Amino acid sequence: MVTNLIDAYVSEVGRRLPRKTRADIEAEIRSILQDMLEEHSRKTGKPEDNEMTLEVLRSYGDPEKIAASYMGERYLIGPRLYPIFMQVLRIVLIVTGVLAAIGLGMAIYQTALTPLNGFEAIVKAIANFGTSVMIALGNIVFIFAILEWALFRAGGKAEVKGMQVEKAWDPRSMREVSARNQVKMGETIVETVGCFAAIVIFNFYPQIIGITPSLNSVFKNGNWSSVTFLPLLSDVFFSYVPYLTLVWALTILLNIILLRLGHWTTITKVFVIGLRVINIFIAAAMLAGPSLIAVTSPALTGAIGDAEGARILMTMITQGVRVALWLAIIGGFIEVIRTIYRIITGNK
Amino acid sequence: MTNESFDNLILELRRGVIVLAVLSRLDNEQYGYSLINSLKEHDLDIDQGTLYPLLRRLESQGLLQSNWRIEADHPRRYYSLSSEGRMLLPRLKEEWNSIVFMMKKML
Repeated sequence: MVTNLIDAYVSEVGRRLPRKTRADIEAEIRSILQDMLEEHSRKTGKPEDNEMTLEVLRSYGDPEKIAASYMGERYLIGPRLYPIFMQVLRIVLIVTGVLAAIGLGMAIYQTALTPLNGFEAIVKAIANFGTSVMIALGNIVFIFAILEWALFRAGGKAEVKGMQVEKAWDPRSMREVSARNQVKMGETIVETVGCFAAIVIFNFYPQIIGITPSLNSVFKNGNWSSVTFLPLLSDVFFSYVPYLTLVWALTILLNIILLRLGHWTTITKVFVIGLRVINIFIAAAMLAGPSLIAVTSPALTGAIGDAEGARILMTMITQGVRVALWLAIIGGFIEVIRTIYRIITGNK
Repeated sequence: MTNESFDNLILELRRGVIVLAVLSRLDNEQYGYSLINSLKEHDLDIDQGTLYPLLRRLESQGLLQSNWRIEADHPRRYYSLSSEGRMLLPRLKEEWNSIVFMMKKML
């Protein structure tokens, strides 16, 4: 019975330990407990029994606490990344909230409002907001956990005979990096989160990109009619997604390298020029090629029941996409020129 | 200041000396429980949850070595200073003496 209690305790600690060290630590704890029990029995002059074992186990401590003491402190997102994590989270939550509010406003505006469907609209908006927040939160935590691992765990520290030692920091290294060559951590992480979100959305959830003129139904010609979801982007757009995904993935890779380095180098500058040039080519091909928009004027008219409104909305969407592509080309071009100039004038 | 805050400060103060205290006791090999008692005899009461993980860490850092031995009716893990630990201990003692000297001047 005494052994059973010790076995139970050791197994309670063991199941909280990594498999690699479990057996060894379990054997050690078992040995210590047996020593403690023997000592206790010797001191009190009583034979080892259940009650004595319970007392020893109590004094040894809560199995959870004992297991934790062998593990050390472990972070999913450590103290160095935590402030930026919170900053990104705040921005994403605000943006998600604003988008949800706009969505709710549009739904209420486009639906003939009754107390019932008004209430339904609000409930759906809250539910959508909740889902969006959970997805965003999950993705952000995932990205930061990868960044934490890539920046501070995988080779981020020098191993000296099992002892983890921080790489020596030389204050003179500060002079080697001019202000404009320093990596803006917040901006880089926001871009990384954006790229990751784009990869996930366009590759795994393309069906969520579209227009829902009202929540589920519209009041048209005196009747309620059902409206299906109108996908916004055409197959032509999705034929570009593999190339865009490659650019986003390479951008994430570049950003991880930049965050580890802390400053721009000629190689990272050439890398970013390459990425921007690919971006410009993709944007130019999109501009020159067939329409990226799947939704048509008649479909939109059918959906919102207003031909003029549909025409205006279609123009806004089409022109909006063209403007965005031109901005991508011009912005990319400016960045390429600026980066080339920085390479020519030197890194310092 | 609450008692808890005071206790935490004391704990932090003691944490710094535990490594030296443990290394100083392991010139001759000892198993975990005998080490706890040996430290207790010198009025250093260490929590078990602190000592055993510390011994493992010092071993992984190359300062200690250990081996299992069956004694009486159960196996025991014996720890002792490794050659590296033996080289390091006098330097640590020296450092400790200079800390004590410095703090005596300061206080």
